[in-house]
Amino acid sequence: MSTIRVKFSKKDEMKYISHLDLMRLFQRAFRRAGIPVRYSQGFNPHPKFSLATALPIGVTSDGEYMDVELENDIDKDEFIKRLNDVLPRGVRILSSKYIKTGKSLMSLIEWSDYVIEFCTTDGISKEDMENCIREILKKDEIYIKKVKIKNKKETIKEVDIRSSIKNLNLLVVEDKRIIIRTTLKSGSKGNLKPKYIIDIINKTGNIEIVDDSIKIHRLELYSQKNGNLVSPLNCE
Amino acid sequence: MINKDTLDKILSRVEKPARYIGNEINSYKKNTKEVKVRFAFAFPDIYEVGMSHLGLHILYNLLNKEEDVFCERVFAPWIDMEHELRKHNIPLYALESKDPINKFDFVGFTLQYEMSYTNILNMLDLGHIPLLSKDRKEEDPFIIAGGPCAYNPEPLADIIDFFVIGESEELILEIIEAYKKWKENNRTREEFLEDVSQIKGVYVPKFYEVTYNQDGTIKEFTPKAQRYPSVIKKRIIKKLDEVYFPDRVIVPYIETVHDRVMLEIFRGCTRGCRFCQAGMIYRPVRERSVDKLLDHAQKLVEITGHEEISLSSLSTSDYSKLEELVKSLINKFKDKKIGLSLPSLRLDSFSLDIIQEIQKVRKTGLTFAPEAGSQRLRDIINKGINEEDLINSVRDAFYLGWSTVKLYFMIGLPYENYDDILGIKDLAYKVKDTYFGLPKDKRKGNLKVTVSTSCFVPKPFTPFQWFGQDTIETFKEKQKYLGSNIKDKKITYNFHDPELSFLEAVFARGDRKLSKVLIRAWQKGCKFDGWADYFNYEKWMETFREAGIDPSFYANRHREYNEILPWDFIDVGVSKKYLINENEKAKNGILTRDCRKGCTGCGINISFTGGVC
Repeated sequence: MSTIRVKFSKKDEMKYISHLDLMRLFQRAFRRAGIPVRYSQGFNPHPKFSLATALPIGVTSDGEYMDVELENDIDKDEFIKRLNDVLPRGVRILSSKYIKTGKSLMSLIEWSDYVIEFCTTDGISKEDMENCIREILKKDEIYIKKVKIKNKKETIKEVDIRSSIKNLNLLVVEDKRIIIRTTLKSGSKGNLKPKYIIDIINKTGNIEIVDDSIKIHRLELYSQKNGNLVSPLNCE
Repeated sequence: MINKDTLDKILSRVEKPARYIGNEINSYKKNTKEVKVRFAFAFPDIYEVGMSHLGLHILYNLLNKEEDVFCERVFAPWIDMEHELRKHNIPLYALESKDPINKFDFVGFTLQYEMSYTNILNMLDLGHIPLLSKDRKEEDPFIIAGGPCAYNPEPLADIIDFFVIGESEELILEIIEAYKKWKENNRTREEFLEDVSQIKGVYVPKFYEVTYNQDGTIKEFTPKAQRYPSVIKKRIIKKLDEVYFPDRVIVPYIETVHDRVMLEIFRGCTRGCRFCQAGMIYRPVRERSVDKLLDHAQKLVEITGHEEISLSSLSTSDYSKLEELVKSLINKFKDKKIGLSLPSLRLDSFSLDIIQEIQKVRKTGLTFAPEAGSQRLRDIINKGINEEDLINSVRDAFYLGWSTVKLYFMIGLPYENYDDILGIKDLAYKVKDTYFGLPKDKRKGNLKVTVSTSCFVPKPFTPFQWFGQDTIETFKEKQKYLGSNIKDKKITYNFHDPELSFLEAVFARGDRKLSKVLIRAWQKGCKFDGWADYFNYEKWMETFREAGIDPSFYANRHREYNEILPWDFIDVGVSKKYLINENEKAKNGILTRDCRKGCTGCGINISFTGGVC
């Protein structure tokens, strides 16, 4: 009995599959692949695997992770091959590693690395965009409004999210198209959705952004070890 | 192919975008340039409903097994998606290639429910295909239809180019062959319709003429030329074990209504309930062998990875080797953590054993369908169960730990009176008394009895096809009467919308005059009529008024035996004489035995297997 940690991608039209649907997809893929996943005890047995974080619908990713408990060991490359043979286009297992069971995958994750692409209505110069980013990073506090719905009551909370932004870099400015890369707080100890970065850019630089032009791609998930960011595959 | 970027933007704005992306496991990908025939299997409801339909999976696989045929799927887009498609002028596309459906050779609709007819129109319109058969040009696809509602095709006569009557897997390839030949010879659209009119089981409405009497009933229904068959005989698969079985079922990304392996154990039903259309049109009974089923189950589990197998048929308990099958399935799949579900099970003590075994301890509710409240009425409809059976089963179930019971009834059945309605209440109370009659320590959970009544809809090819449906007012009165009599916290009463059942009755027994009503209603915005939120009764009534058609002529009118019914030209194998006889027996509450216990003379043997009857 051992646990295998898996890195996978979720791209193309598979970005429209919800977290719950993805869970079901894996459950069935394991069975098709003949992978000896452990099952929970009880009357309604469930395969024992857990995903690191939920990727929002519409976001693509090259850095998703899950832990799978196995009934008996199989070669890790064999594991990848068997699973990739039965997975739909868009979901690919990239790498895997047997791990010692310890902290849950979910509790390990602290940061997410994203690439965000969007278009501005009027176009913006490289300088202006760089200034905007510099200005954001210079701030000690950045307040955003988070809407919470509890018991059908909507409450709006002002939250300082400055500490949730680790990096913010400009990658491309090309006429109206802009690409940025950012590392944001992720996981159970705090989570900043990438769409808030767009809001902040919009507000700070007074930049008009075309609503349906936004494309978000997750590059990687990180755990933190001695102050450094490490992949969940290397955090032991 | 439609514009990918635009589609991408649209999909990020609609609810459940995975309905519209295709590319599921086991779906087919073919080079559209290399195939000779492109077929769009069209289901006039949303993805989740359509993907739960076994017939789709059968035909999809059957057609795609042919190398030069590419069958794709198209479903009715939900309201938000329709809005986006129209806004961006994107034609309705099939899921596999994302090509607009007007680029196909065939668009084939399955008719599962009368109230999905307006969705057919909506899908054609979204696919930029003319609504009326006569307006379609050479480059348009042929619009065909099959399924249970095709047994009365007349309300769609102006819309569908031709119908396939019976089990389509028996003749669809004959149609495809005819098409390939026709295409090679570069002939006209009209000529293809001529060709297929000669295939058994195909009905081309435009080759038939209907004249009417003064009172609106049919005077004559005749082929326009001698070469067209005057009777269309349904086509069926004779030996189910030898027939093609889909061993490669698509696994949806999102949860569908039946999100599991559907194992079809047999077709047909021998019980002979007089209200039941399926019981008449799907005759004779044809079973699959246990060996074949185990083999299919194994293959399907391997290729889909599903965690549950469900046995599908009209009445699971009637499968002759059920015990053997269930035990083998449990044995085979227990270790693989694959569950088994048995819908449509008659609840006797044997079934309870099975349910208990497969459900382990998870006690979901039990469902019983006595259909009518009194023994008199149950005999009239030939339901063949009595109160004692029901109460004994319920008592067994309570002993075994169940506490939630659902009871299904119909109101408005022929020859029903208010005592029969009160019988529904009495039965529910007896179920409750049975529970509380148990020693206290044997009662588990908290009793909940749910009584549901639907409104009886007389259907073609049933012994009750001549019967006038109750009016909406009568239905409401009866529902109110029953509701006011059920005064117990443990018993909940649910009832169906009579307005919807009224319309269902109109189209179930409608004639070809109704095609124009359908189009008008759709123009006024009617669609998804089977969905309570979208059904607009007022709009429908307005449409009937404008069209000068009285809907109650179809729903509420009593017919005489000598009247020519719109579907009389279709031969389902069960003779009209038998249906009349059954209706006469109903009047006197005389039972007809289950066909398994000896032939009851419906005629199916003569028609379809050449046997003595």
